[in-house]
Amino acid sequence: MNTAVPSLAEEALYLHHSLFGGTPEPVIIERYAAANRKLFPAEAGSALLARIVSRGLDVEAVEFALRRRGAGSELTRRIQVLSYLVEARARYQHYFVSTEPGRGGAVVELAAAVIRSAWKLAKGEYLVRRHGLR
Amino acid sequence: MDCVDAIVIGSGPGGAFAAYGLRGKRVLVLDVGRDAPTDARLSGNVYHLRRTRDDLFPELIGEEFESLHNLHNRPISLKLKSPFMSFVVRDWRRLTPVVSKTFEGVISLAKGGLANAWGAGVYRFTDRDLRDFPISVEDLQPFYDELTSHIGVSGANDDLTPYFAHDEALLPPLALSPLFSELFARYGQARADFARERTFLGRPRLAVLTQPWNGRAAYQYENLEFFQPHIPAIYTPAYTIDQLRSEGAITYLSGRLVERFHERDGQVRVYARNLDTGEAEVWCGRKLCIAAGTLNTARIVLQSAAEYDKRLPVLDNPMACIPFFSLGRIGAGLAANDSSLAQLNWIVDDLDSGETIQGTLYGATGPLRSDVLFTLPLSFRANLTLLKHVAPAAGLLMLFYPGIETPQSYVRLRSSGELEVEFAPTGGNPAIERKIIRLLRRIGYLSHPALIERPGMGQALHYAGVLPMRAEPGPFETHADGRLSGTAHVHIVDGACFSRLPSKNLTFTIMANALRIGRRLAHELS
Repeated sequence: MNTAVPSLAEEALYLHHSLFGGTPEPVIIERYAAANRKLFPAEAGSALLARIVSRGLDVEAVEFALRRRGAGSELTRRIQVLSYLVEARARYQHYFVSTEPGRGGAVVELAAAVIRSAWKLAKGEYLVRRHGLR
Repeated sequence: MDCVDAIVIGSGPGGAFAAYGLRGKRVLVLDVGRDAPTDARLSGNVYHLRRTRDDLFPELIGEEFESLHNLHNRPISLKLKSPFMSFVVRDWRRLTPVVSKTFEGVISLAKGGLANAWGAGVYRFTDRDLRDFPISVEDLQPFYDELTSHIGVSGANDDLTPYFAHDEALLPPLALSPLFSELFARYGQARADFARERTFLGRPRLAVLTQPWNGRAAYQYENLEFFQPHIPAIYTPAYTIDQLRSEGAITYLSGRLVERFHERDGQVRVYARNLDTGEAEVWCGRKLCIAAGTLNTARIVLQSAAEYDKRLPVLDNPMACIPFFSLGRIGAGLAANDSSLAQLNWIVDDLDSGETIQGTLYGATGPLRSDVLFTLPLSFRANLTLLKHVAPAAGLLMLFYPGIETPQSYVRLRSSGELEVEFAPTGGNPAIERKIIRLLRRIGYLSHPALIERPGMGQALHYAGVLPMRAEPGPFETHADGRLSGTAHVHIVDGACFSRLPSKNLTFTIMANALRIGRRLAHELS
């Protein structure tokens, strides 16, 4: 199995696809790589992310399970970098801001989010144990 | 050597108003003076811009990834890290180094000081607040009034008037966002219950214009406070410095880091480093007003005395942040007049301690969502959904406690030039916090003591009391006119000379006291 450390561009592609769906605009990939190079120059690549990418694991589930254990801060930080970068783009605003009032829809979405979170936690716990991630 | 009438060190609230009080004299202001970037251009409501401008990366994140500061540095206030706001704290660690195990604050070397990023709260001290000072409200009253007229203060005379003082000159208060409009109305219905608990709500007093004033425009509810410096409606002392410069009332030299002073022959020599050339410079004044910010004022005074053993007291307001939620407003969407400025004030008159505890209520719509995403308890995408729908329904009560003088809270200058700053840990007052949460629940808002966060000491950014005013000052204390004990012409005009630190924001009183001292010195120089 290929566990070579992915490039920062490959990381950005994988994280974006897992968390927001689809392929990010090139500018997001460039900025993700530049941000990591500038802010974390000592970290050439993430071994944890390499295993997640090479095995095609659910990054949201793994991050959540590790975060609940007080681990995986490197993965959390990389997701947060991507989150900052997309938050500055108009096409992603619907992920961050609700401008249309809709109490019923919001309650349904929130209930679904809690269920999703519970599912991701269970899945993440399984993946962390199954693949020995930390 | 040419000797000016007065040298003022610093351009924050103390420096700006000492200089303002000295108008008519030859005044030299020496300042590091980092300024806001000239390309800081955000215009319009931030949420409208976020939807309609394809890319706000330069404005919200920054070409140097400034907004990601807290991912790879010591955390600082979310208001200090965006690309156009980061000038407020630029270079301070390099130019004015601090060593500490407990200090989590920052120092500003910007023109206008930390007030470039303040909440604009302007609160008059009462005699109760001033009880350890050798001055009274009567001494400050005319200067509070003059400041109100000069900068424009919005607010209302309401249930908080006994704590904030009656003021006929207030501009109308800011419009409340829907969350706080509802909360304030519910408080009105439950006022008697609150009063029984010696707890009161009212409108904040803000140096924010709700109508045009002295050539500045009224606030536009654009929610830009986290990203855009020098919004005309929000006062900063940099405006007064610029006004004094344009009037020719002061000579303002930026790029000067003052290191020490020396009195000789009835004059004060000020030794500074020119940060552009690296050269040492000496300036001469008949009077010296030091307003370098409490910590750097202490550094200059200790360095001038070559004093490396002395521990000076230091104060800051311990804080507690209490989030709360309105279930009824979940999914309400953002309102046009949401703002990240203070919406309401909450006062607890604590009879047990004899202290007034002051809280400020804010909405949760100011910072980037990514700033707080991972403080929430769900998975990434679920947290995004949570933030999206709950932010318009969430508020934050930032509770400030009075500063407490303890032997463990001190500043000391090391011979290496670093300032040692330590604060004793503090746990707030859980009984008061439980009472607040109980009252919030009483009017329909959810919170819980487990949600309370306690920012580290120094994060209130209300440093004070290192060279306190006393009726009979000893070494490293100051007279009622701010004059440093043992000197003839050196006056301390910032928070350093405060004799105590109540729970109120101290900035308005720094301004009033500096204006008082500046006027007095102008009279003496005449």
